Amino acid sequence: MAAYLVRRVLQSILVILLVSLVTFTLLHLLPGGPARAILGPRATSQQLQQFIVQNHYDKPLILQFGLWFNDLLHGNLGYSYHLNENVASLIADRLPKTIVLMLLSIVVALLIAIPLGVYQARKRNTVGDYVLTGFSFLFYAMPSFLLGLLLIILFSFVLPWFSPEAPQSDSLGAILADGNALVLPVATLALITIAAFSRYTRSSVMENLTQDYVRTAAANGAKDSRIVVKHVLRNALIPVVTLLGLSLPALFAGALIVESVFNYPGMGFLFWQEAIVRDYPVLLGVTLVVAIATVVGSLLADIAYAVLDPRVKYA
Amino acid sequence: MAPVLDVDDLHTEIAVNDGAVHAVDGVSFTVHRGELLGLVGESGCGKTMTALSIMRLLPGGGRITKGTVVLGDVDLTAMSEKDIRSVRGKRIGMVFQDPMTSLNPTITIGRQVAEPLHLHTDLAGRAMTDRVTEMLNLVGLPQPSRRLNAYPHELSGGMRQRVMIARALVCDPELLIADEPTTALDVTIQQQILELIDDLRTRLGMAVILVTHDLGVIAGRADRVAVMYAGKIVETTETQRLFGNPRHPYTEALFEALPENAAGTNQPLYSIPGMPPDLVNPPPGCRFAPRCRYAEDSCRTDPPPLRGEVTGHDYACFFPVGAAETGPITGLHKPRPIVVDSGFGRHAAEPGAPLLSVTGLVKDFPITAGAILRRNVGSVSAVADVSFSVTGGETFGLVGESGCGKTTIGRLVVGMERPDAGTIWIDGTNVATLRGKARREHQRDTHLIFQDAYAALNPRMRVGAIVAEPLVIHGIGNRATRLNRVREVLAEVGLPRGAIQRYPHEFSGGQRQRIGLARALALQPKLIVADEPVSALDVSIQAQILNLMSDLQERHGLTYVFISHDLSVVRYLSTTIGVMYLGKLVEIGPAGAVYANPVHPYTRGLIDTIPVADPWARRTGDDGVRGELPSAIRPPSGCRFRTRCPLAQDVCAEQEPPLRTFGNDGHQAACHFPLAVPTFAAESEKSVGTA
Amino acid sequence: MTINPPLPEQVHVSDTVAAPVDSGDAPPKSMWRLGLEVFLANRLAIVGLVVVLLFVAFCFLGPLLYHTEQLRTDLAQANQPPGTGGHPLGTDDVGYDELGRLMVGGQSSLEIGIAAAVMATIVGTLWGAIAGYLGGWVDAIMMRVVDTLLAIPGLFLLLLLVAIFTPSTGLLIVVIAFGAWLTPARLVRGETLSLRTREYVQAAKMMGGGNRRAILKHITPNAIGTIVVNATFQVADAILIVAALSFLGLGVPPPHADWGNMLSDGTAFTQNGYWWMILPPGLAIVLVVVAFNFLGDALRDAFEVRLRRR
Repeated sequence: MAAYLVRRVLQSILVILLVSLVTFTLLHLLPGGPARAILGPRATSQQLQQFIVQNHYDKPLILQFGLWFNDLLHGNLGYSYHLNENVASLIADRLPKTIVLMLLSIVVALLIAIPLGVYQARKRNTVGDYVLTGFSFLFYAMPSFLLGLLLIILFSFVLPWFSPEAPQSDSLGAILADGNALVLPVATLALITIAAFSRYTRSSVMENLTQDYVRTAAANGAKDSRIVVKHVLRNALIPVVTLLGLSLPALFAGALIVESVFNYPGMGFLFWQEAIVRDYPVLLGVTLVVAIATVVGSLLADIAYAVLDPRVKYA
Repeated sequence: MAPVLDVDDLHTEIAVNDGAVHAVDGVSFTVHRGELLGLVGESGCGKTMTALSIMRLLPGGGRITKGTVVLGDVDLTAMSEKDIRSVRGKRIGMVFQDPMTSLNPTITIGRQVAEPLHLHTDLAGRAMTDRVTEMLNLVGLPQPSRRLNAYPHELSGGMRQRVMIARALVCDPELLIADEPTTALDVTIQQQILELIDDLRTRLGMAVILVTHDLGVIAGRADRVAVMYAGKIVETTETQRLFGNPRHPYTEALFEALPENAAGTNQPLYSIPGMPPDLVNPPPGCRFAPRCRYAEDSCRTDPPPLRGEVTGHDYACFFPVGAAETGPITGLHKPRPIVVDSGFGRHAAEPGAPLLSVTGLVKDFPITAGAILRRNVGSVSAVADVSFSVTGGETFGLVGESGCGKTTIGRLVVGMERPDAGTIWIDGTNVATLRGKARREHQRDTHLIFQDAYAALNPRMRVGAIVAEPLVIHGIGNRATRLNRVREVLAEVGLPRGAIQRYPHEFSGGQRQRIGLARALALQPKLIVADEPVSALDVSIQAQILNLMSDLQERHGLTYVFISHDLSVVRYLSTTIGVMYLGKLVEIGPAGAVYANPVHPYTRGLIDTIPVADPWARRTGDDGVRGELPSAIRPPSGCRFRTRCPLAQDVCAEQEPPLRTFGNDGHQAACHFPLAVPTFAAESEKSVGTA
Repeated sequence: MTINPPLPEQVHVSDTVAAPVDSGDAPPKSMWRLGLEVFLANRLAIVGLVVVLLFVAFCFLGPLLYHTEQLRTDLAQANQPPGTGGHPLGTDDVGYDELGRLMVGGQSSLEIGIAAAVMATIVGTLWGAIAGYLGGWVDAIMMRVVDTLLAIPGLFLLLLLVAIFTPSTGLLIVVIAFGAWLTPARLVRGETLSLRTREYVQAAKMMGGGNRRAILKHITPNAIGTIVVNATFQVADAILIVAALSFLGLGVPPPHADWGNMLSDGTAFTQNGYWWMILPPGLAIVLVVVAFNFLGDALRDAFEVRLRRR
């Protein structure tokens, strides 16, 4: 297992390096060159020149990359002229809020999707299974913004239960305290995740139910519920952990949309707003950070997988 | 004494799309305490379904429709689900075929063996662990207390099966059902497991039902046998009576299809024509009648009842073979010789230069590991300095257990792998050094037949295209001539012309192997390497394919390299046998000589451990091969077999034994203490060991 | 007393080797025919097919029969509920007829979706097949590229690219395909790796066949199933992506319509209860995407079942 983990960590580091390379490349593909693109059409050539020298854009590319990367390591992700703030501090403020939203949604989704998937697998091809499969298809096909809108219409206007807007406070604590306003955003993100995960759990459990070791447990006199819980689940959930790792990019994207629909002050919302005004430093900074977060999350999922599956642990 | 299990007129059905398969159709038998009943038959006969029906572990769509299964004093068929669960694992234990998949890969073996204790007893904590350790000890698992926290994939196949047995017996059941418990294991391990089951039966006083297709396994161990065909029992009696005086034509036919009974003769095997009947709509009358050589009209209309003259020997046939028994049976039934019309039989090899000559062949497979870059950390020594020759027209049988390198040699000979050292001379050319166009040209002379016939055929290509592919690759002929050739070879292998348009999935296992043979013949190769071509087939189908291969060899002067782990098949078909162990050729010589007078201890062990379908055959207790296969990455120094050899001494670890000659017909073996006197005594050897 | 019938004295060797094949005089069906049968037997597949065809007809043939003004705004007619002034589905916030806009928007959504999916599938398949077949360091490098791009969540990458390049409709297709080719690449690489080790591929090489033959005759036909199934799901995903981008204001450039920006316009009026600006485009998206998902599932079954008949 140690060898496996070391390899995965090194792979992750490599990917992060490559992502930063991509980001750097995109920086230099900006229309008109980085200086013009960032400072805007009204900057004077003197300001442009100053900016170029300040940011080393006149140096050879390899050196630039080194310097830029060095800046990154010191936490300097650039400066947003639009919002008049350091990109790094913007992200530091927004990222935790997005993570909180995602974590809440993942936890809620897994708590519902896994039992649902198990139920569907055990009662496969019955009416209940078909109905739930139908819902899965529906939610899977529905764009998250549409789902968000519908939930707002239904549960904020028709039935005035929840707030149509997410908590707006600055501090994380205040956000978490405003439960009512969190319900719809979390529900939106969770519902789509449930659709995918319950389907996957269903097929993973079904596949395991046909395995020989289930027959051996039955031959020992174990009853169905014991077999499912004590035998099948630990095998069936291992790929689900992997799926979680693979779903992180989609979850971030989903969070972006949910934040946009509900005005949630997270990183996705920031990204969207700044994309419209072409605030490149923010865009590039957030892209890099989100990619790193995805890689780290995926690495954590792989570590969990290695811990859970003895065939990897003791290989 | 009342039987432990009494099955009476059991009927089991499995629902399918268009009806129901009558998998078990009126089966009755009893098993007594301390008795081992063998339930034997080919695939689809219903033996596994019978076993599962007893435990009521039928697959989805399966149900018992009639009959009773009485365990002691309760009828298992009438029990509620809750009650039958308390029988499973407690009063009846079951062992399945594949121990790798039958154990949960994510739970330690200690906990898996303890599971029945959890479910059926009050044992807990220390007491439970002690019981588990005791059980693992009983099944012969070395260092059981240290293995409690091991996972299944950390153990070898044989050890896993021992764990399965421990798990089945941990609650001291009255009955053990073993469904093909050794089929997935190596021959030498098979022997160990069967010994274990036998031993436990005596010690624990259990009744055992052993379900298998292997008549050899039955002959050595079972007290009584029930032969099943198409969902019914066709004959049942004590083992010796069955083998000495089979009454049912199917039993007789099975014996005649066994290669070991025809070995050393030039006879074809008796192969039962046709296929087993469709069990959704079974034919009226005797189920075997369509394939029976003695069938009369009455056989096809009325089903024959299971009865007999002598108590205990029942058969379901109106026109049984053999004679009514008057006294005890003393010997094996002698199969009637088959008189053939054409010149069947294996010719002795033509004298002269060998067609295939392999010298000093070496092949290692590197193993990569490492965190960042994959470095070579070692290699598997698959083939380590092997040399042999094969004369034109003969069959060279290469035999050995898993990991011995025989498959690798086959692949090297046909050019699928390149040797790391050594030469391969085929008809005067060293094919090991050829490249490019010349290599492709020479690949026409050889062909490989794969074990898994289905996997070797592209599922999306029609049979005609598959068989014609070698011609297409080498650009021979045009569509019309190729089609003719395809028709020719298909006829030779006994497939109808309609097969050309069909896809592989529409054929049975034996038929797919025929397609493989047809493809092999298309280019009229000189040498065909057959890698376990019949291992996955039932005995009667196996007989068909072996007869076909002999026939083709005779007609076309083919040379075969026949690779198998099944020594009796190899012995039947081969002129010369080579025995391999862990990458080394340990013995080679004429088939008869190697089998009758093995010189190398491993060969002796192999022969001794192979289950022979003869209850009177001498069965050695513990002269067999001990222990487990060592790693091929770091094979033992000196003689690779020394870790499992009963005759091993210090010199075996220091010096690798050279091949020495025994007799003057090419019989050679590599051993410091061979079982016979070598023709030339070497100076540095000490004394020659005796058997 | 039982009488043993005489044993046939002569046995022809050919008797012992003949083997029957499934009887049946009908000519065997080809793989395509069998697959088609399974496909058509699947009711959801028919539903999906019908829905897709209906929408295609609706979006592309509809405007020929139902003319509406889609270029000039008519603010006097803005926000009319369905039924007024000859607008069956009402009007949107700048006076466009909703039903007509639905058709025209559908054209964009479907065109972009299908084109992007096709492009992504072709590029991804080639990439994955080459990586999988050649293996070694070529595979390592090609897959590192895929891994890197996969690390950036798709929507972020797409928004970034759109922000940088501000593409026209044509380039938007390329941008979306750029995000989408990664999945088929991974998938096809996996398939190729697995197929490469199949015995029938090895048999072809053993007989003297070269790499080209192995790829064209053996690997590709057996991988087609996965590729086609994935392509169908790609269409569904692409339509969702376009809608998302347009909803966020960074998709189809104005004055083009698509279902996504119709929804985005409608969002402003959720509180007013102008449901006809939200429900129709939303419903359209869901129906088309579900239909393509049905098709994908059914195709998967159709391709697989032929291998499992025995």
